[in-house]
Amino acid sequence: MAWQWFHRLGSPKWFYEKTTAWMPWLLSISLLIIISVSIWALGFAPMDAKQGNSYRIMYLHVPTSIVAMAAYYVMAIAGGIGIIWKMKLSNMVMKVAAPIGAVLTALALFTGAVWGKPTWGTYWVWDARITSVLILLFLYLGVIALQEAFSDQEMADKASAILSLVGTVNIPIIYKSVDWWFTLHQPASIKMTSSSIASEMLYPLLAMIIGFYLFFTWALLSATRSEILQREIKTKWVKQALLQKA
Amino acid sequence: MSSSLHSSNPTVGKAFWATLKRDLKIAIRHRGELANPLIFFLLVITMVPLGVSPSPKTLAMLAPGMLWVVALLATLLSLDALFRSDFDDGTLEQLLLSPQSSYINVMAKVFVHWLTTGVPLTLVAPLLGVMMSLPEAGYIPLLLSLLLGTGSLSLIGAIGAALTVSLRKGGLLLSLIVMPLYVPVLIFGASGVRAAIEGFAYNTQLAVLGSFLALAIIAAPLAIAGALKMSVNN
Amino acid sequence: MPMHPVRKQRLMIVLFIVVFASVAVGLMAFALRQNINLFYPPSKLIDGEAPEGVNIRAGGCVVPGSILRSKTDLAVSFAITDGKGDVTVKYTGILPDLFSEGEAAVVNGQMQGGIFMAEQVLAKHDENYTPVEVAEAMADASAKTGTSHQASCDGMDMSGNKNY
Repeated sequence: MAWQWFHRLGSPKWFYEKTTAWMPWLLSISLLIIISVSIWALGFAPMDAKQGNSYRIMYLHVPTSIVAMAAYYVMAIAGGIGIIWKMKLSNMVMKVAAPIGAVLTALALFTGAVWGKPTWGTYWVWDARITSVLILLFLYLGVIALQEAFSDQEMADKASAILSLVGTVNIPIIYKSVDWWFTLHQPASIKMTSSSIASEMLYPLLAMIIGFYLFFTWALLSATRSEILQREIKTKWVKQALLQKA
Repeated sequence: MSSSLHSSNPTVGKAFWATLKRDLKIAIRHRGELANPLIFFLLVITMVPLGVSPSPKTLAMLAPGMLWVVALLATLLSLDALFRSDFDDGTLEQLLLSPQSSYINVMAKVFVHWLTTGVPLTLVAPLLGVMMSLPEAGYIPLLLSLLLGTGSLSLIGAIGAALTVSLRKGGLLLSLIVMPLYVPVLIFGASGVRAAIEGFAYNTQLAVLGSFLALAIIAAPLAIAGALKMSVNN
Repeated sequence: MPMHPVRKQRLMIVLFIVVFASVAVGLMAFALRQNINLFYPPSKLIDGEAPEGVNIRAGGCVVPGSILRSKTDLAVSFAITDGKGDVTVKYTGILPDLFSEGEAAVVNGQMQGGIFMAEQVLAKHDENYTPVEVAEAMADASAKTGTSHQASCDGMDMSGNKNY
């Protein structure tokens, strides 16, 4: 059955048991990639002709920015699925995606500021992309605050799902508004057809993005797994699973 | 439901008017509360010359942005009460259970909120513009941009109000979740006034604000109705 | 036969949504045709299209050989170009590291008597990343063929319509 996997996903137990085997692999592969690429990018990738060594912060800035944005879509899509199909698991994914996304967004802003000083001459500009990423951080914080405010979990899930969906409608509008307003940020360097970045610099960047995506997947799954244990604490299978671990 | 029930349904217009009239009546009976956002607007604008500088040149530079930011905050403060009393006495539940689409009822309630906060704020804004030494060219765009913009502010803010209505201490949280969504309205509202002062055309900004309002009219009531159902059902 | 009330209600809501959706799209389409961000390329600054004494933004390529630094203070003057015209920019302060001849810069300030008095100068760096050796090789090659070194500005949209 084509839809069987989808319905199975609704079962926290099935999900928990299925992902147990993946966790150590995901963590070790992603850390391996991130650490080795860091050495490659910092030590061996060539220096940029104009920016010198300061461009190397790109290897942290670009992956965190990309994954921070992706995390919002994960959160909003999970929220939407939670509202439409009332799937328990997707509500949990939505809840745990928010803090992870917030941390990544904060990291993207910080690395951007550090990069901005040597290249643009200022830590902070009210530029279109920077401003919209800052607002993305506020949207994450709003979802987290809303989650925390409700004592009833079901209400908390519904409320934050509605807010993240409203935010999804707003993100392109906010982006376009501030873009119109002023932009200094360079256009994206990685394009599907031709990249405007030298290949010896591009490959470590692409590897880093893959590494960050894997690490994000690990963080998301492991946070979802602990959320499952917390919410299903009263069920038999959780007690058994915990006993087995002990 | 039987067909006899359907045939006794009032039409869309009648349902809208019924909710509208009821809410307006309640608002007029609580006249004191109506004035609160306006007093807040006035007080904060008074703080600006006291806190920054009374020099007309400085004030004129700050005026478009300041007037818009404070009008936005005043709207924000009035939002918490939007669904609160109807939630407490069970009216909200009845409204959502009624055979009329909740879209219509929600639209009527938000429309009343705009009539009782957005419109008064817009009308006093020119007076406060005088206090802020707003250059002459800025008054008409200030009025028009606030008139269009506060409509979007009421609609977007009502989503936040609906999400937090069941929480006892929702006020601060409400501001936290609504403010990021207000950014585009603020950008175009204030930049329209600034453009007019500097001698540029401001019809683009008004067009964008109108476009935001039309979008909010379509989409916001869906989110508001969903959020209200969530708040009432638990 | 009269229409079923529930269906009539739904029809009205659908009509309502269609009307407002077209209003939103129409107004946005109108707005998108205007330039509201007060960004001017140098050619528009010199032909008088930009107002004087009003805060605006301008951007362009720094003309090679145009940078003049004061010997006593931090005052500096340079020219920016978009290929169709140049304008002189005066600024007092520290320039960003990436600011150099042949590179793109964004300036905030006012036009006064045909000269742009900048309050802020920012280096707009492009999306190209090139290793040092490659850049040198390219510079050598272009020196041999006689083309000037302005690679960084070539690919950039200086019209001010799209990316600013």
